[in-house]
Amino acid sequence: MDKMLYVAMSGAKQNMQALAINANNLANAKTTGFKADLAQARTMQAFGEGQPTRVFSMTERASQNFDSGSMLTTGRSLDIAIKGDGWFAVQTPVAFNLATQVGEEVLGPTSNEAYSRQGNLRLTEDGTLETANGEIVLGDNGPIVLPLPVSNIHISPDGTIMVQPEGAPSSEQEEVARIKLVNPDVRLLEKGNDGLFRRKDGQVELSDANVKVQGGALESSNVNPLSEMTDMIALQRQFEMHLKLMKTAEEVDASSAALLRAF
Amino acid sequence: MNPALWISKTGLDAQTKDIAVISNNLANASTIGFKKSRAVFEDLLYQNINQPGGRTADDSEAPSGLMLGAGTKVVATQKIHTQGDMLTTDNALDLMIQGEGFFEILMPDGTAAFSRNGQFTMDEEGNIVTPGAGYLLQPQVTIPEDALSIVVSQDGEVSVTLQGQAEPAVVGQINTVNFVNPTGLEPIGQNLYTETAVSGNPQEGVPGLEGYGMLVQGALETSNVNTTEELVNLIESQRVYEMNSKVISAVDEMLSYINQQL
Repeated sequence: MDKMLYVAMSGAKQNMQALAINANNLANAKTTGFKADLAQARTMQAFGEGQPTRVFSMTERASQNFDSGSMLTTGRSLDIAIKGDGWFAVQTPVAFNLATQVGEEVLGPTSNEAYSRQGNLRLTEDGTLETANGEIVLGDNGPIVLPLPVSNIHISPDGTIMVQPEGAPSSEQEEVARIKLVNPDVRLLEKGNDGLFRRKDGQVELSDANVKVQGGALESSNVNPLSEMTDMIALQRQFEMHLKLMKTAEEVDASSAALLRAF
Repeated sequence: MNPALWISKTGLDAQTKDIAVISNNLANASTIGFKKSRAVFEDLLYQNINQPGGRTADDSEAPSGLMLGAGTKVVATQKIHTQGDMLTTDNALDLMIQGEGFFEILMPDGTAAFSRNGQFTMDEEGNIVTPGAGYLLQPQVTIPEDALSIVVSQDGEVSVTLQGQAEPAVVGQINTVNFVNPTGLEPIGQNLYTETAVSGNPQEGVPGLEGYGMLVQGALETSNVNTTEELVNLIESQRVYEMNSKVISAVDEMLSYINQQL
């Protein structure tokens, strides 16, 4: 059988997987703080004897697009958006162990601190600040718990949470905590299976005073529908070309069989 | 089958739910005391196809793996408890809470429900009740039959002027309740909310004092729906819906191409 058929088939299969990444980006075009995944293909040689023709492709989710999404103003006091670069820290359930052991090495993060830009926060009944997905928001000194009851919550640009205790005059603003804001090099970050970002080396990032937040706003998803649609069309056409090659392989095969029959 | 089909399906599902939330907001744009909702999206779990850092040869590792996301879902609908605008009506039994707080309403089954809708009316015994179903306002306030006028003060004191009396007589006190987390209240329709585990317990207090919003007589709180914002959201959801359905048709074409060509 011709190797060409397998090479073309691997191409078509990898196109399908790239399309899945594409579809996931488009499905999350309205998810707050979502960062679009970038798909890339890599050559995987399988050279043996003879001509070095067998080069398969492998689709990878290389990284994410870390551009900021647009700001949506909501006016809700517990909505925050990070201005420019940066993340806020959240604590994921301990049970969610993302580390994978490969041989003797432990790959992936081992701490349960993760970074997010999904700023639709809420309070639990005991005053703990958490994201809409239920991860506890971390301050510079651990989880943030507001002293209840409070009547006014204000999140200042440096991430400090000011509250007005219930019944206190409006001049009396109490500082509760500062949201842990970090700004790691994006090359060190990777997206976990829960959609949150962590450092690849498992280290905990130190807080950065230069990261600014905007209260009363949310960051939209940074998926660019136009480029996703274009990528999708390109993938679809490339897929068709792979199939065309598979068809050609079949035809070549059929004509050599016919040739053999002629003798 | 191709994962992209199912991923796009989650996108379609989520946008449909979002449009349902938007249309409910728009339908209630002129409901007194209505608080808008919004759908909260979350990306679903990612599936590891190739682990990053996996060995590709003796001396090399894959620098990046392949993780396929499983799409999106609506994890919650959040009620946004921001203040609505003030609508003056000059009706003595129209009350508005300026600031935080809810009116406590007694349900027929004896439980408590909470409302921001201050369009009150009276039943045949003179009790202050909600306009639609006629549920009693708590604490119960009864207006005497011969009352000429009703005055509700900012701190909830209800006084009436009676025939032939110069001094107004105090007939009751309307208290409001606050919640730690009003977003956690469960809307049950009829402009009412009920307490849940995450909302915290109702804390009763005197309006206008200690963080409780003051009462304004002769005014109502409009819904806090911003119609422009809803329409922008609607456009966005509709287009995202279209794009997700486009992916489905693209995958469909690819699959049909396989069937035709091979």
